[in-house]
Amino acid sequence: MIASSHNAEKKVFAIGDLDKSVKELRSEYVDLRSQLMKLKMESEIAEKMKTRGLKSSEVPPQKIKVVTR
Amino acid sequence: MYKLFSIQYVHGNKYRDLAVQRTVKKDVIEANRGSIYADDGSLLATSVPKYDIRFDAVTVSEENFNAEVNSLADSLAGLLGKSSGYYKEKLKKARRNKNRYTLIARNLGYSDYIKIKSFPIFKLGAYKGGIIVEQRTIREHPIAGIARRTIGWQSSGAGIEGAYGEDYLEGVNGERLKQKIAKGQYKPINDENEVEPKNGLDVISTINVNIQDIAHHALLEQLEKFEAEHGTVVVMETNSGEVKAIANLKRNSKGKYTEQLNHAIGEAHEPGSTFKLMVMVAALEDKAVDSSTVVDTENGILTFYGKHVRDSKRGGYGKISAARAFEVSSNTGIVKLVQKGFKDDPERFVNRLYNMGLNDKLGVAIKGEGRPMIPHPNDKIWSGISLPWMAYGYGVLLTPLQTLTFYNAIANNGEMVKPRFVKEVRDFKSRKPIKTFEKEVINPKICSDATIGKVKEMMRNVVVRGTAANIYSEDFSMAGKTGTCITDYGNKNAKKQYVASFSGYFPADNPKYSCIVVIHKPNTSIGYYGNVVAAPVFKKIAKKIYTDTPVVDEVEIGKSEYKALEKKYEEYLVKSRKEYKGVPDVIGMSGMDAISFLENLGLKVKVIGNGKVRKQSLNVGEKIDVSKEIVLELS
Repeated sequence: MIASSHNAEKKVFAIGDLDKSVKELRSEYVDLRSQLMKLKMESEIAEKMKTRGLKSSEVPPQKIKVVTR
Repeated sequence: MYKLFSIQYVHGNKYRDLAVQRTVKKDVIEANRGSIYADDGSLLATSVPKYDIRFDAVTVSEENFNAEVNSLADSLAGLLGKSSGYYKEKLKKARRNKNRYTLIARNLGYSDYIKIKSFPIFKLGAYKGGIIVEQRTIREHPIAGIARRTIGWQSSGAGIEGAYGEDYLEGVNGERLKQKIAKGQYKPINDENEVEPKNGLDVISTINVNIQDIAHHALLEQLEKFEAEHGTVVVMETNSGEVKAIANLKRNSKGKYTEQLNHAIGEAHEPGSTFKLMVMVAALEDKAVDSSTVVDTENGILTFYGKHVRDSKRGGYGKISAARAFEVSSNTGIVKLVQKGFKDDPERFVNRLYNMGLNDKLGVAIKGEGRPMIPHPNDKIWSGISLPWMAYGYGVLLTPLQTLTFYNAIANNGEMVKPRFVKEVRDFKSRKPIKTFEKEVINPKICSDATIGKVKEMMRNVVVRGTAANIYSEDFSMAGKTGTCITDYGNKNAKKQYVASFSGYFPADNPKYSCIVVIHKPNTSIGYYGNVVAAPVFKKIAKKIYTDTPVVDEVEIGKSEYKALEKKYEEYLVKSRKEYKGVPDVIGMSGMDAISFLENLGLKVKVIGNGKVRKQSLNVGEKIDVSKEIVLELS
């Protein structure tokens, strides 16, 4: 009885720790993801590429699809 | 002895209850709120923990404090932006006053929190370093200020957050009884949760991050250029009614443009000339007018009951066709056509507008939709100038989204679809859609195909040779209508203020997207016409979507005629794709194939002669040793 109670308590502590790390990992994920979202936004990239003398294309990309029959 | 008895039996129940109270609590297991995603799965809103950092100035030892306080202040200054001196003073003051709860920083993100935890003193932990961390869950928009108003807020009920919050995002909190154990933790008393928590569902919106980004920045640039008060852009997919982008920007007290109100949905205003499309459709349907009907724009001035209708071009356009009057947006031309057709029976005209749903709210899910207003001849406010004024978009109210919905219906060959902001609701774990929101048709056919053909041609010509010829492009086609409308005209003394707009769709034939741009109160000394202020935003979006969509060319290639070669290649492919633990047999293979084949396995190959492999120096099946060299003799 006492042993299993201790056992259960141990598990509660473990769950508490895991819960905390889940929360932390989740916040890390969201934090990094939001940084990525900002970085990969076209307006952001266009701004950065200006310094390198690159600008967005004026014509659409051409896609060549090869069909074999 | 008596006391013991008394505690046990007389006050027994009270103390037992107290014990239960102290050690057992009803614990609320909070359900995670669902997230909001863009159409490609990018996060638009989600719940994240934020951290408040406080400092217990008493618990740190004298030695540690004095040694490191300077470097801690420097680190804090580096991360949080205020001066190092400021933090030094703050920390020292806290120490002097024995403050055990000094606020250092609020609302830190995770990465900042990790950094601050590793600073001098703080890295010693809560007991030696005195760092107190408080965590809260808040709602965050990873794409920052973009589309903020439409994504909305949980607390105010605005946007998608508000509209889909209660039903889907929220989830249900769970409850269970817990008993206190060591380390400030509680353990559950029963195996089962008394009430199971149900996590909120994820909402996938129709917003496209790329189009939203373009729309937002194109609008921002134009607002800044023309020092306008506020503006809005909506981009909608023609066939489905999915809103791909919606930007609302307004200048704040600091002169910066931010999302404050959902103008596109909430602000009903006089549309001005963009309303001429609705007028033209009604008149064409009634057969009161045809696109070739000739109208005399007189000298650009008409007078009704002492009030004037003026053309923006002084002196008018002379005698022109109805279609041309639309293209150049002649106020006098359109007003005369409407007067001629409906002067004696304005109710017929108004009913036509009503039948196209123009006097009804769209009923979008996001709350706060503005109410449209088109007066009826039986209304008290109806007067002799109601009809002529209505003909060029005054005395009526529509929200930008309502106007766009009508334009979209024309682009969609008469099928009026309801604008949608949400695609589906999904379960986070299983990633399975729980509910999908289908396209909703408001009116399957608002007018005849003949009328649609005529107004489409007119709108195309607006861009080719009409008021919006300034945005014409040879590369891609657009169609639409400009609008320039005086606002706040009640105040005679104030400087004239305008609303510049452009509404339309692209490409002109087979439209994919429709879009409206409305810009309120530009600085008139810089410009105020719809074609100058609003249309360039439209063009930018159309152009971006055009340049982002690849042009596909199909090239047909017949099957190879060299059967033998094909077969050999197939054999090689089969052989090279197998996994090998030992050296394979390459005898009989052509030298070229054998080299690439063996090198891909990591072996070093040396070749003597040319032709096919006659002999290999390593035995078949020998374990592959990348340091060894294999010599092939060819002949």
